[in-house]
Amino acid sequence: MTEKTIGLYHFMKRKLLSLASAIFALCTSVNAQDFDYGKFSYDELNSKSYKNDTSAHAVVLQEYGNARIGDADRITLEFDYHVKIKIFDAKGYANGNIEIPIRVNSNSGEEVSEIEGITYYTNEKGEAVKEQLSPKNVFTVKQNTYWNTVRFAMPALHEGCVIEYKYHLKSPYIQEFRKWDFQSDIPKVYSEYKVQLPAVYNYKISLRGVLKMLEGGKYKPELERECFSIGGIKADCSRFIFAMKDIPAFKEEEYMTSKNNFLSAIYFELEDYTNLNTGSKVKLSKEWRDVDRELRSDESFGSQLKKKDFFKEKLIPVLAGKTAPLEKAQAVYHFIQKNIKWNHFYAIYSFDGIRKAFEKHTGNVADVNLALVVALKSAGYDAEPVLISTRENGFITKLYPVLTEFNYLIAKIDIEGKTYFLDATDPLLGFGTLPMRCMNDQGRVFSLDKPSYWADITKQTESGTYVLDFKLQENGKLKGTISSILTGYDAYRKRIEISKFNTVDEYVENYDERMPRMKILKSDVKNVDSLDRGVIEYYEVEIDLYDNLDSKKLTFNPFLLHRIAENPFKLEERTYPVDLGVASTDRVSLNIELPANYKIEYSPKNVGLTLPDNGGRFVTNFETIGNKFSFSHITQFNKPVYASSEYPYLKELYNQIIQAQKVDLVFTKG
Amino acid sequence: MKRLLILSLFIACAVTAKAQQNYDVSLIPKQLLPYASSVIRYSDEVVEISDIGAQTRRIKKAITIFNRSGDEDAEILVWHDKNTSIKYIKGFVYNSSGNVTAKISERNFEDAYAGNNFSLYEDTRVMHFKPAVVDYPYTVEYEYETRDKQTLSLASWMPASSTNTAVEKSSFTVICRPNFNIRYKEMNLPAKVQTGTNKDGMATYSWLVNNLKATRQEPYSPNPETFLPMVKIAPVNFRYGAYTGSFNNWNELGKWVYNSLLVGRQALSPATIANIKELTKDIPDEKQRAKKIYEYMQQRTRYISIQIGIGGYRPFPADDVDRLSYGDCKALVNYTQALLAAANIKSYYCVVNAGSRKVNVDPDFATINDGNHIILCLPFKNDTTWLECTSQKMPFGYLGDFTDDRTVLACTPEGGVLLHTPKYTAEKNIQLRKATLKLDSAGEVSGSMKTLYKGTQYENQENLTYESPADQLKEIKEAYAINNLDVGKLKFEKVKDINPELSEELQFSARDYASVANNKLHFTPNIANKTRSIRDIRNRTTDVCIQRGYTDEDEIVYTLPAGNYQYEKKPLLIAINKPFGTYMAIMNLTGNKLVYKRTIKLIDGTYDKETYADLVKFFEDVADADNYNATLVKQ
Repeated sequence: MTEKTIGLYHFMKRKLLSLASAIFALCTSVNAQDFDYGKFSYDELNSKSYKNDTSAHAVVLQEYGNARIGDADRITLEFDYHVKIKIFDAKGYANGNIEIPIRVNSNSGEEVSEIEGITYYTNEKGEAVKEQLSPKNVFTVKQNTYWNTVRFAMPALHEGCVIEYKYHLKSPYIQEFRKWDFQSDIPKVYSEYKVQLPAVYNYKISLRGVLKMLEGGKYKPELERECFSIGGIKADCSRFIFAMKDIPAFKEEEYMTSKNNFLSAIYFELEDYTNLNTGSKVKLSKEWRDVDRELRSDESFGSQLKKKDFFKEKLIPVLAGKTAPLEKAQAVYHFIQKNIKWNHFYAIYSFDGIRKAFEKHTGNVADVNLALVVALKSAGYDAEPVLISTRENGFITKLYPVLTEFNYLIAKIDIEGKTYFLDATDPLLGFGTLPMRCMNDQGRVFSLDKPSYWADITKQTESGTYVLDFKLQENGKLKGTISSILTGYDAYRKRIEISKFNTVDEYVENYDERMPRMKILKSDVKNVDSLDRGVIEYYEVEIDLYDNLDSKKLTFNPFLLHRIAENPFKLEERTYPVDLGVASTDRVSLNIELPANYKIEYSPKNVGLTLPDNGGRFVTNFETIGNKFSFSHITQFNKPVYASSEYPYLKELYNQIIQAQKVDLVFTKG
Repeated sequence: MKRLLILSLFIACAVTAKAQQNYDVSLIPKQLLPYASSVIRYSDEVVEISDIGAQTRRIKKAITIFNRSGDEDAEILVWHDKNTSIKYIKGFVYNSSGNVTAKISERNFEDAYAGNNFSLYEDTRVMHFKPAVVDYPYTVEYEYETRDKQTLSLASWMPASSTNTAVEKSSFTVICRPNFNIRYKEMNLPAKVQTGTNKDGMATYSWLVNNLKATRQEPYSPNPETFLPMVKIAPVNFRYGAYTGSFNNWNELGKWVYNSLLVGRQALSPATIANIKELTKDIPDEKQRAKKIYEYMQQRTRYISIQIGIGGYRPFPADDVDRLSYGDCKALVNYTQALLAAANIKSYYCVVNAGSRKVNVDPDFATINDGNHIILCLPFKNDTTWLECTSQKMPFGYLGDFTDDRTVLACTPEGGVLLHTPKYTAEKNIQLRKATLKLDSAGEVSGSMKTLYKGTQYENQENLTYESPADQLKEIKEAYAINNLDVGKLKFEKVKDINPELSEELQFSARDYASVANNKLHFTPNIANKTRSIRDIRNRTTDVCIQRGYTDEDEIVYTLPAGNYQYEKKPLLIAINKPFGTYMAIMNLTGNKLVYKRTIKLIDGTYDKETYADLVKFFEDVADADNYNATLVKQ
């Protein structure tokens, strides 16, 4: 192995996109070692709180991990984990319940062994005592076909105790080298991950999050001579020690996407490896064109895309009588949506082919949406599959292909110059509407004959428009109509709500039951099953507003619908972007006719508030003509995501909306 | 001769029915359709006890699914564990006209862990499969058999346990050797048991229901056992692995639990016993000694649930808990009992149905299936004290709303005894709030608010007291719906007693609390205690059950910006008096002082279903009054 080969390792900071080649010191000593097991200090045992975060119920004192490729006949990833945690109070006890998820499949899987644990605590007499974890109290739970968990509860937890445990994990999945989370929900004093990579295995390494790793000294990458042997052939390793100290706890905020996007962690992806028997290099995912080629020939991907003929006959009745391109595409979309039920598994590869998925009426995300792409192709469209990463899965690396970061597949189609992204996994979504889980940055579009490329996932919108027409009766009741039209996610949410009932009538009955003081006299709900249209609702109602109209003065709050009582943003500061996922518009207009002898004495001032950079607005408008008045308000959020610097404005907008809602208008009898 | 003929005709009929049931959806009686997302066409549950230590359950069921919201009812779930094995599972899917469209076999199923989330480990697993059918309605018919190597626990029959599912026909049959006696209790059933002897000479007990309409979720509904059809069964003689026993009533079952599952589980090391003796040696009062031991136990244990086989009923040895410092409810109660015994304090291991819904151990019917939790009873001479042993922070003698006011089974050396846990009445569950606040001319409110929590309301904010001051400040903003809440000081004080009290002092300000325009102030005098209206139910079928009463009192004094103010609209004044509760809210303005007072009391109890309309109206009026927006004009 030459230094040049080793130099292929590159280390990348996510998002900053700065590429720094590692410079190696040639060294044979191994100066990064696991800390001693079974030792504690009185300082650790006696400490009452963590100085950097006094609110912490527990803190990781030391954490060490080591991952390497094992030199055995069968190539495995060998991973050691060792941690020592100080638990200050009973609220930190959950850190003493350990769960290690392990991946399994029918013939091989990960194995956990050598589990050891000790709890150190001070007993009633003030003596420091140790209690060992007994192997018989370690359980392996066969969760399902794909996952097991190894579980144990550390013994003898007391407030102020220190727990320590370690284990070894052997994994056949070397393509995804063990990632390392520097950050967790409790703070850490020191966390170190030692990685020994045989030079024949070339991994890409990336760091997420904003925290800095320790540099210099022992943290410099080094070369270890002949550290790895397989079948008698020896290879060198490069050794990295990734470490951080004084790591703050990761605290999740409301309205945020995956914490994986922000949590400080290090990730690995196998790029290529050298076959030691033949000496040839096997590339895994170097360039997009390599990935494109692999996917095209993949039985569970590209091969599926060639099965157009399967849908030919089946689509004849579906497309019968339809001519407009959009109408035809919509029909194909709804055909797949109806005929393959999603089994709630995410995937970018078809499980056992789209044909079988269609026949069994069930499949994973890739089964459903590859079938959609193929059916659209069969109907003559140039549809393409798009690989994406869901919101909870986090953002994707753009610098080079990391296929394992994708976990979901959708379809893309262009019709008359307009691009639509489609997902047929949800039976209530309209054509071109993506579920919230897909709203994450960009996707990679594939085709059988053209190079793949990045595409922005279309911004999703929602809107609700409500018109209320009322007449105030002499008996104090408001009588009139409420009509509304909902689009985008607003319509989707309404369909979910309606679908919980057996009939639209049952839904209306429930709505009537939920609305205090309101009686529905007549109703009409349209387009519940016409998914590509807005949901239209129309109600004739009677509202008990006043017991009578005897008093000379009456007050009325014009925010009959969509009152916001509480500001959803309560904290002073915001660390992460506010991700609402969707842009929204809400319009309400209210028209009221008062009895002839009434007039409006006091009306609220019109309000017009906007967010900077055309980010959104809240506008009210009041108009009066004789004994009639109309009041309308618009609340609009133009962006799906707001930067944390925009947080104070968002919070203040809500504050102002709530303020405006407090003002009543006053009528007087003439 | 004639008799024989009839008999053979019957047999012929039975065979035909077996060969081909007709699942055409149009055959479902129309009266079963309202509110039904699915209809059980038939369900046939058979429990066969062929031996004192073995039972076989055979379930056959056909269910028609009308729409997507009914899909979940099509899922086939077969539970199994260490004692229970599955013999077979098979079935068919039919379309709306009753033709077979798919076959279901065991290899369609996935086997998954089915332990509770709160458990570290349980041996419960589930084989599950949900047929994927895209055309509605459709019918799933399936049957399976499980064998269970025990007869202590015999499952009860509840033919209409899920809402929005109607039942066309459902039957339950127990088959056992004539000398295997069972006890049973029928509840809310239109027809009594049919007993007989089958061709193998086995005793049979059968129950049948027909045409049960789908029910809806109804708020404030009573315990389902009080209105849904149900049959509970229990053995007289039973075997569970190496354990055998016999019981006809709670006394005998309690005795068996005591003798077979508890005795011998309480040995402690001499060191621990010495420790307890040392800890309590200077405390003469028995109750104070018990308190000391309870707190000692709380400090050194945590709740960890592990359930395997008989371990679901029998506690770990006290000595294990002493060493590991953890256990489930059984283990922690047994351990506490052992510690108390070391200080010569008598206590009872008690089986209870825990949960915020109060469910009694059924006094009329002894069964091992009753109860889901264990608590400890200390039968002191003049008062009985109860301990929840799974919490590290519960005050000595306090049960909260998890196990209050219900009948429990105490397993004593003399046998089982039914006892009742203490009730926290509406008068005891108190939240008292007093605030002195200032509203400035810009609409900012500021001042201090003191709240006292007692009874089950002690737990309202108790969790916050274990957080750091920094986290308390964050979380208090979620607890109060006051916009722009800026907390100056937050202080909690606790009296950890049998009747615990928590007091909270909050000093705060909130800008824009009032909206100020044209010499007018608009704001909600009720700053911190708003009630919501509840969903109305047309055609309600169940009684109204208020589980727990409470009393809240708020008194808030506002000092307005200097000047004289007058009401723009009618001032708030409301008083409601109903059998289930009272409410009063009033405001008084003098000069620039506004005093707001609010009292609400809800009285627990069961009221007839007609009361529900009143309850809806009550909460509607309360919600309106709570949200009353004052408009004051400066003169």
